[in-house]
Amino acid sequence: MRVGRLTALTAGAALLLAGCGGGDTAGGTGENALPGVDQFLDAPCPEAGVKPATDKEFTYWSMWTADEPQGKVLQKAFKCFQEKTGVKVDVQWLGRKAYTQNLVPALNTDAVPDLFDQDVSKVGAAVMTPGGTQSVDDVFAMKVGEGDKTVKDVLSPSSYDFPQNKDREGHNFMVPYTIQSSAWWFDKNTAGDIQQPKTMDEMIGLFDKAKSDGKAAISLDGDIPFYNMYFYTQLAERYVGAGGLYKAATDKTGQAWKTDPGFLKAATETAKLPKYFIDGWDAAKFPQVQQRWADGDSRFLYVGSWAPSETREYLDKQGAGTKINYGSFQFPMPEGATHDTVEQMSIGFSVTKKAKHAEAAKAFIAYFLNKDLLAGIPVVADNLVPRADLAVPDDLKQVKAALDDPKKEHVLQYDGIDGIAGGKWQTDVFDPADIALLKGQITPQQFVDQLATKGAEFWKNQG
Amino acid sequence: MATVTTPATPPARAVKAGAHLSRKKRLFWPFAAPALVLYLAFLVLPTIATVVLSFTSWAGAGDTPEPNGVTNYTQMWASDSFQYAFRNTLIYVFLGGIGTFALAFLFTMVLRDMKGGKIVRAILFFPNIVAPVALGMFLGFVFKYQPGKQGLANYVLEGLGADAAKFLAPSNVTGVVTASLIWASSGFYITILMAAVDRIPPYLYEDAELGGASPWQKFRNITLPMTWDVVGVAGVLWTINALKIFELVFVLAGPGTYAPPNEAWTLGIYVFDRTFGSNGTPDFGAACACAVAMIALVSVLVVLLRRLMRRDAIQF
Repeated sequence: MRVGRLTALTAGAALLLAGCGGGDTAGGTGENALPGVDQFLDAPCPEAGVKPATDKEFTYWSMWTADEPQGKVLQKAFKCFQEKTGVKVDVQWLGRKAYTQNLVPALNTDAVPDLFDQDVSKVGAAVMTPGGTQSVDDVFAMKVGEGDKTVKDVLSPSSYDFPQNKDREGHNFMVPYTIQSSAWWFDKNTAGDIQQPKTMDEMIGLFDKAKSDGKAAISLDGDIPFYNMYFYTQLAERYVGAGGLYKAATDKTGQAWKTDPGFLKAATETAKLPKYFIDGWDAAKFPQVQQRWADGDSRFLYVGSWAPSETREYLDKQGAGTKINYGSFQFPMPEGATHDTVEQMSIGFSVTKKAKHAEAAKAFIAYFLNKDLLAGIPVVADNLVPRADLAVPDDLKQVKAALDDPKKEHVLQYDGIDGIAGGKWQTDVFDPADIALLKGQITPQQFVDQLATKGAEFWKNQG
Repeated sequence: MATVTTPATPPARAVKAGAHLSRKKRLFWPFAAPALVLYLAFLVLPTIATVVLSFTSWAGAGDTPEPNGVTNYTQMWASDSFQYAFRNTLIYVFLGGIGTFALAFLFTMVLRDMKGGKIVRAILFFPNIVAPVALGMFLGFVFKYQPGKQGLANYVLEGLGADAAKFLAPSNVTGVVTASLIWASSGFYITILMAAVDRIPPYLYEDAELGGASPWQKFRNITLPMTWDVVGVAGVLWTINALKIFELVFVLAGPGTYAPPNEAWTLGIYVFDRTFGSNGTPDFGAACACAVAMIALVSVLVVLLRRLMRRDAIQF
């Protein structure tokens, strides 16, 4: 009895402390806890496939913070790497903006880290373009510590082998350890076990059903331009295929938007959605509207595969005993579309050009892809990995199935148009037109015309 | 004897004074140099570098700046984002300025004779001690739009029977920020103006009262002329502060992590975006060009303001 009470008290205190910690949730605590977190963190270290011959340390500037789930997984990997190879990792937890605010200015000096990470579009646009990265092709031949298996053997080719991951000499500059995608999210407990809609009409039917059930259909934090961007790009990719949007966006005359009728069709389909958006989406302050979805105000939410981990954390802090049984589906093929696409974004490690300990950094990349360590990404961080042989978090089963579907065409997130001209094309040309389309201020035809004229103006101005 | 000695003293004094002067001269540089060096190194040179870099293309990522003439300036001027930023910044300077000073003048009319005026002054100053970022975050909650769970502003509106407003929509945000600025900064200018008002001899007001002057007449004929210089300085301060507005808009109009939609940008946000570009290499040349434009704009506005405010000083 006393022991029981004491345990309850300690558990309560621990919960309280976790709540105060702000983001101190390795995949959720309490009711939203993921199973297997402690098991992973306490498991013995795997052997290293490659041991650096000379390097005794290397520096790593992280896109994560130390108390994030990914930070915890990496810390365990560093500890293991030191234990097995004697190499010490000097890490700085800098967060998502490390690549622009810390790394890029540092490229002017010799004080650069050996290893850093971000998504491939961002690394490509900000660090590879000015020549800040080196080839990581040699990493693919390194052993991961599972017999003779190499990095190349264990990674899914679609996660690294695409044009956006090639530097000017044609070498890969990033080795992925996390894969993201995007989807329509819903709570199976309240919405039922919704199956993948086959047509746009079927999907619209789901939204109508939500409304007739007295709920808002779609949550959208409209103050984040790249959340607004999903709807049009998802539909357009299905008409024009991988690389189609990128080609049109970089067309100096802007005429590509008009010559391929798919762009107008996609805009017409996009214009059907805003009437289902939750009231207030256009005056939002992230993450309020996403939280309204988690609270059950709306039925669907279209964001990346990080939706479960973000909303779990929110629900934990609310502590109201709400639990979501995450389900998801992809955009259906709109009428007349020919490309059954699935969007993908690879997050991975890159090594800087001026790295002093490239050997150790590369050995670590290979080591982290060992299944016993990489397992932490799904288990602790509730995210997907570029290996097919690891457990998939329940939340992400449907997303993973879409990514693994051999019939589907893989497209880089937003087809990479968010990185064009360092993001300036998106801010100046796409976003204003997109928000006007979503707010019903312009017609689909005007939207396409605006992309064409503003795009041409933009490129003329860029010289 | 006496006549001989007396003239002898002044030359001796003159020599002494001369020695002091030359010692003073000798000491001038050792004392002034450190300050000058620091000023030169941390202010003058960076400013010159900014101007020079504004005529180059430079990603600031290990590459060397390449001269590209006035390209940065023509590109900037043609960019929609810059046009929005320029327009919004001018709105903050002028609309915000008119609002702030109207409010400040109103308070100078009232506060002078008010009981507890000192306390009211202190309270009006309060928003100034809060960091603009914190203020922006806080106002984000105040202006929240969520049917059923409204922020304070919409809660009050609905309580009064009006419709809730989408304050944070990009097209409305400039208005909201202008109002917030007026609210947040008027206390500061009230404090400055009241310090000047306190120096006005009370008999002038007593005299005016005996003559039956209205509060407006007193303000028009005593307060304003007697504080004119201070109003001028306050105007310059406002212009400089309003022109560099950044954090309040950044956190109020956007999620705080990413730049808000370009419709809500200010020149400060434009510089930030070109420096830490949302999704790519920085464009330091373009950022410098905008910074130079800001310096030019401040200079023009301040000179104009000083011209406009030029009057003969009133002695009292």
